[in-house]
Amino acid sequence: MSTALEFHHRVSQFLFREARLLDERRWAEWEELYLEDGVYWAPATPEQPDPVNHVSLIFENQLLRKVRIARFASPAAPSLHPFPRTAHIVTNIMIDAHDTKSGALSVNSRFLMIEYRRGVQRFYGGAYAHDLVETAGAFLIRQKKVDLVNCEGPLESSSIWF
Amino acid sequence: MTTIIDKKTATIDVGALVEPDRVHRSLYTDPAIFDLEMERIWRNTWIYVGHESQVKEPGQYYATTIGKEPVLLTRHSDGNFYVLYNRCAHKGALLVGDSCGKSKELRCCYHGWRFDLDGALLGIPLEQGYDDTRFDRKGPEANMARAARAESYRGFVFASLSEGVPNLKTWLGGVASSIDNMVDRAPEGELEVAGGVLRYEHDCNWKFFIENLNDMMHPMVAHQSSSLTARVVAKKELAPDAPVPSAIEIIAPFTESYSFFDDMGVHAFDYGHGYSGGKTSIHAKYSDIPEYNQLMEAAYGKDRVAEIMTVNRHNTIFYPSATIKGAIQTMRVVRPVAVDKTIIESWTFRLKGAPDELLQRSILYCNLINSSANLVGPDDQESYRRQQLGLESQSKDWVTMHRDFGKDEEIAPGHLYAKGSSDISFRNQYRAWKKYMTEGAL
Repeated sequence: MSTALEFHHRVSQFLFREARLLDERRWAEWEELYLEDGVYWAPATPEQPDPVNHVSLIFENQLLRKVRIARFASPAAPSLHPFPRTAHIVTNIMIDAHDTKSGALSVNSRFLMIEYRRGVQRFYGGAYAHDLVETAGAFLIRQKKVDLVNCEGPLESSSIWF
Repeated sequence: MTTIIDKKTATIDVGALVEPDRVHRSLYTDPAIFDLEMERIWRNTWIYVGHESQVKEPGQYYATTIGKEPVLLTRHSDGNFYVLYNRCAHKGALLVGDSCGKSKELRCCYHGWRFDLDGALLGIPLEQGYDDTRFDRKGPEANMARAARAESYRGFVFASLSEGVPNLKTWLGGVASSIDNMVDRAPEGELEVAGGVLRYEHDCNWKFFIENLNDMMHPMVAHQSSSLTARVVAKKELAPDAPVPSAIEIIAPFTESYSFFDDMGVHAFDYGHGYSGGKTSIHAKYSDIPEYNQLMEAAYGKDRVAEIMTVNRHNTIFYPSATIKGAIQTMRVVRPVAVDKTIIESWTFRLKGAPDELLQRSILYCNLINSSANLVGPDDQESYRRQQLGLESQSKDWVTMHRDFGKDEEIAPGHLYAKGSSDISFRNQYRAWKKYMTEGAL
């Protein structure tokens, strides 16, 4: 296998693993995929320039991700009882940029999240843009941006990261 | 008990569905009642349409709904705004198919009829075809129809689809001061819509949302999993001397004590309006933004700024269609769709002349509290949904609103007050509901 192909395979495996950790509710392991200052961002409009001057569906730093994870374990969250089940499917993975010197890379992909809770199945889909950094042979997330095709809504309640 | 819904004649005695201290479950579950509400409430009073800053320039339009009616807020070259029915005078197609834009005229996508931004017909292809027919091209039938009334209060545009309403300021009454306070918080004395909109679909009746706003008995229960958890996680993760992040300042107060919410108090006014909080609220303890304070003092003077900042209301309700948080410059707008489906829009406002941090804090607030994917709102929405499902049960017909009944304090004619835990807000809303539903007009 060529180096490029091998690298692409490693990147894909990383994205698949990230999706799998969400589906298997391995939240702490999922959180460890992020840099300490890494962010998760799901904008509320297409081509939204930033998460600060415009509302977002989700914009979370590490502290807020940890709050969400702790909430998942709370017995007092009616919207999580019954707990949603999800399947995240990641595909069309392309490496848009790769700086071998700094280890920074931008990965674009498409995803589909199927969510089931209390008798209703919902579909969310769109594009992922992962800004990753490779250190000591492992990838970490600087930013995961999720552009839902229907980000402008109206959207129903959802609690699991897309 | 008298028969409220007569199954033989299929008539409903709506007046009998509301008593001073309880309401009938069918208010939330019966599609016929929903249809009546759309006629007798939503077509019969002032409904929030949009903000003037959304149509700043001539030619700008914003499409929305009043109950089931598609409407447009437009700005004409005469400088005035208009509220028009979004319906071509020809064969009825929506003239505007997107949500907002700018155009010299509104041209129908189907047969090319053209209208000015005040609704006046500008032209029809092969116009002479209507010569010698009953259709009068110069008459009102040829124009887009206008809402019967449209007025702005300090930039907030409301419209009524029927004539029989008092002027907007009179109708707002005691809650106009909440708009005043929100606008007065701008160093330049004006607001503008900024930061986009969140549209959150609720699978429940619109009244559950409106009731929830000044329901002070729910936050410490329904928001335990988010607010209390945020407190615990922040304590664990942050150094003891670290500044409290804005996100935690925003989420943590949702689990203040019963006595805190009691002290916030609830004010109730005619037409179903009201607000909670006054001198304090769950928004009172956000960190200062020194540059903002300086700009405010330069604009208004120290004493006036102190007066403005002392007012710290939580939710103000403009029954039935909108609610604002003046202290954090956000607004939520109610768009009922069906008896069990409602869209809640969440808007943020820029205080003109204020530093960007203010708008950014409003945006952060909406991300954390009002987004469909946030940590707080889904627990409210789930509770409403469970009410929607639970009230299908025929085991009990009545929903209780008895807490502290008979203990309201009359501050002035048409202005009642009670402690936060009182059901005063619900009773006040249904007093107005009954009036609208049985007397038709105000």
